[in-house]
Amino acid sequence: MERRSFLKSFGAVAACATLIPSIVSAADEAKKVTGPNEMSIETAISAITGGKAVTPSSKVSLSAPEIAENGAVVPIKVTVTSAMTDKEYVKAIHVFATKNNNVRCANVYLTPANGEASFGTRIKLGGTQDVLAIAEMSDGTFLSGKQNVKVTIGGCG
Amino acid sequence: MAEMKTLIKIKPKDYKAGDVVKIDFMAMHPMESGMRKDKDSGAIIPAHYINEVSFSFNDKLVTKMVTWESLSVNPVLTISFKVPSAGTLKVLAKDNKGQSVESTVAITPKG
Repeated sequence: MERRSFLKSFGAVAACATLIPSIVSAADEAKKVTGPNEMSIETAISAITGGKAVTPSSKVSLSAPEIAENGAVVPIKVTVTSAMTDKEYVKAIHVFATKNNNVRCANVYLTPANGEASFGTRIKLGGTQDVLAIAEMSDGTFLSGKQNVKVTIGGCG
Repeated sequence: MAEMKTLIKIKPKDYKAGDVVKIDFMAMHPMESGMRKDKDSGAIIPAHYINEVSFSFNDKLVTKMVTWESLSVNPVLTISFKVPSAGTLKVLAKDNKGQSVESTVAITPKG
């Protein structure tokens, strides 16, 4: 009898073991779909540019620390060289953290009233990655600048 | 959550009409990403972040921002602003839970 009950319970355990992974993966899938603003960097960029080419330019200067000891607070500053007149100005600055779960950080829509095209903030970085800034100019072109930030979580490195 | 606390700083303190100044907008906000888990219960803390900030001067829009949870806790947002004249700068911040806060600062150019 003991052997029989052992086999029974073993069977039950085996059944559970095969069931659990499938439940977990289903939950993972659901999280992927409904996850907070998950988007690949390509999708995020094309959502903004509408498929237009993005040219790397020295006009867009992105300053961020090369090594950030704490990924939770990384100060960044984006400056775009522009006259900022009514005819020629920077329409928007878009900031991306290319390997974060949600790559989008901020979309900043500027007007000539800004005087200078600049934007500064502090962002969270999940790990070592490129920070990318895309500037949308008033003539419809897109310029970009980027910098790699090494994140040493725990400060040992 | 209690009312968002905000602070607006203008740098430098002394400026004239026509100068370009830096405006720092700071907000006390948890900026939850929706990825973190509660240490005790293990439940996922729902995302809670500022998703819209607009700066306007004398009711005319200067800068509008759409932001996501990648900004740090208690975010600081800095923009440039060319002071045209005396007036009021208004900053309206909204978060994804529908909470909003409006803060104003007087722009008083000297000379």
